[in-house]
Amino acid sequence: MKKSIYYSLLMSAMMSVAAAEETRQVDKHEHGVGELNIAVEGSAINLEFMIPGADIVGFEYEAKSDSDIALVNTALSKFQDLENIFTLSSSGNCNLVDAEVEINQGDDHEDEHDHEDEHDHEDEHDHDEHEEEAHNEFVAHYSFTCGNVKEIDRIDFPYFTTFPNSGELEIQFVSEVGSTSFEVEGDKPFIDLKGKI
Amino acid sequence: MLLKLSLSSLYARLVTVGMTVIAISFSLMLYMSVEKLRTSAYTSFTDTISQTDLIIGARASSVQLMLYSVFRIGNATNNITWESYLDVVNKEEVDWAVPISLGDSHKGFRVMGTNKDFFTRYKYRGGQSINIDKGYLFEDLYDVVLGAGVAEKLGYDIDTPLIVAHGLQSFSEHDDQPFRVSGILEKTGTPVDNTVIVSLAAIEAIHVDWSTGAKIPGQETPIEEIRKMDLTPKNITAALIGVKSKLTIFNLQRWINEYPEEAMTAILPGAALQELWRVVGVVENLLLGISIVVIFTTLIGMTAIMFSSLSERRREMAIWRAMGASPRTVVGLLMLEAIFISVLSILLSVILLFFSLSILQPWIDYNYGILVNVEMLSLRDMYVFMTFIFASILVSLLPAIRAYWFSINDGMTIKI
Repeated sequence: MKKSIYYSLLMSAMMSVAAAEETRQVDKHEHGVGELNIAVEGSAINLEFMIPGADIVGFEYEAKSDSDIALVNTALSKFQDLENIFTLSSSGNCNLVDAEVEINQGDDHEDEHDHEDEHDHEDEHDHDEHEEEAHNEFVAHYSFTCGNVKEIDRIDFPYFTTFPNSGELEIQFVSEVGSTSFEVEGDKPFIDLKGKI
Repeated sequence: MLLKLSLSSLYARLVTVGMTVIAISFSLMLYMSVEKLRTSAYTSFTDTISQTDLIIGARASSVQLMLYSVFRIGNATNNITWESYLDVVNKEEVDWAVPISLGDSHKGFRVMGTNKDFFTRYKYRGGQSINIDKGYLFEDLYDVVLGAGVAEKLGYDIDTPLIVAHGLQSFSEHDDQPFRVSGILEKTGTPVDNTVIVSLAAIEAIHVDWSTGAKIPGQETPIEEIRKMDLTPKNITAALIGVKSKLTIFNLQRWINEYPEEAMTAILPGAALQELWRVVGVVENLLLGISIVVIFTTLIGMTAIMFSSLSERRREMAIWRAMGASPRTVVGLLMLEAIFISVLSILLSVILLFFSLSILQPWIDYNYGILVNVEMLSLRDMYVFMTFIFASILVSLLPAIRAYWFSINDGMTIKI
């Protein structure tokens, strides 16, 4: 009897190891390096920022104290007002159609755990990812429709002055012309898009 | 009057002045050709692959994935399974996908397994397709298509038999399953030229009797039997992906990078090329730096020549003074001389550059796959020329001031 308990314990331990092994991968996370993806097609231009919390508010744990929550909220409102973050050249004649700003904190998927009865692989995976992803990240999406998308020849980033803790921005850019990448830092806070759209 | 005087004075010293002009124009040409090669290499490099939205492969750095999948430099860390590939292909964002399998070679050229879509989907130089020069794409299991460079360097033609070697530098060959050249591609100036292309099924077929990198001894499945087998690949090295809408690229990229069942990486080819170029860029800046130093040295050389000619020309200056030229005019004459020399050098360097480029262009394209654009000078070149003329006026001030003192002290007679 006792033996069989040991066995089942051993078995369950082995199984959870196996399950964890399958999915044990973590997204990279580097302080001082924010990511930005820009996609252009037709008259639409989408920008998508993913910035580590340290670059924006200076900490990466989940905001629990009032002052931390206040910091996060101020930061989020700065992202809402996109003039603080970036400006497209005005000749593009672009109008914002959609903006979504959020912070991915450690406990985002809290409710997902409520309906876990069995130790199913899927849940194990969620759990795993969960523990590793203690860093928070600001995510902001902006979509524009432009009257003259080809006229956009430059994007400036007041982002660097808005958030003095920010490091560089790694930018992936794609349009019908092709894709390219940029590394932008505060001392030269813009990208030149001549001939790239 | 002053102009004419200066010109005839230069003409009188044709050999010295001529040599100076030649020296300067060569150094300017060096600068310009480095600059031209640099920009052309960049465009050729970024033109290697176009209209492919994503490249996927096993988890690796984007530069590494780019290098082995497109440039066939280095090796893959891992392959990806066919199941994962199908999972990606079945995503609704995906418009088309071309699998690539690498790892074998033929006489130093990489063998790439792919399907016929590769020839319509792979684009270079802003959307140019690969064209077939002779023969046809693979119809039979053991047909191969050669890049132009392979065919030429190995002297192969349609129907030439060939044997694929296992691995990149190995003595074990797949000699039980000989191939036959069915088609030869036109020259593209891309790594495709140096690639031996077979079907994915062929890659699978030649490895039927192989297990973990070695041939299973004594086991030889007859070709007839292999032909009847299911030759769907079990894994591939990389895949080129096209999406339906550019706006969905990043979502798809994230989905692939976070794909839980297998560690994969998806890259945007242009972005990875740009990243790689930032690394290579250090070397090209070095080249540029060297050619700027060369220009600078030549400027100093020009000053030195002007200085040394000064003592010879004291008599000439005395005559100028006797004819009523003021010491200031003497200074002006020398500066005018410097301007003449630099303008003449610039003209000569441009002529030399275009002459040599138009001769070398086909050769550079052929050997290095870099298409040097022999076109008009860039605005940047103009700036450099203006700066050069200005700099030469500045450095000529030194001998000119000396000449000024000579002419004041000497007057019309030379006291040595």
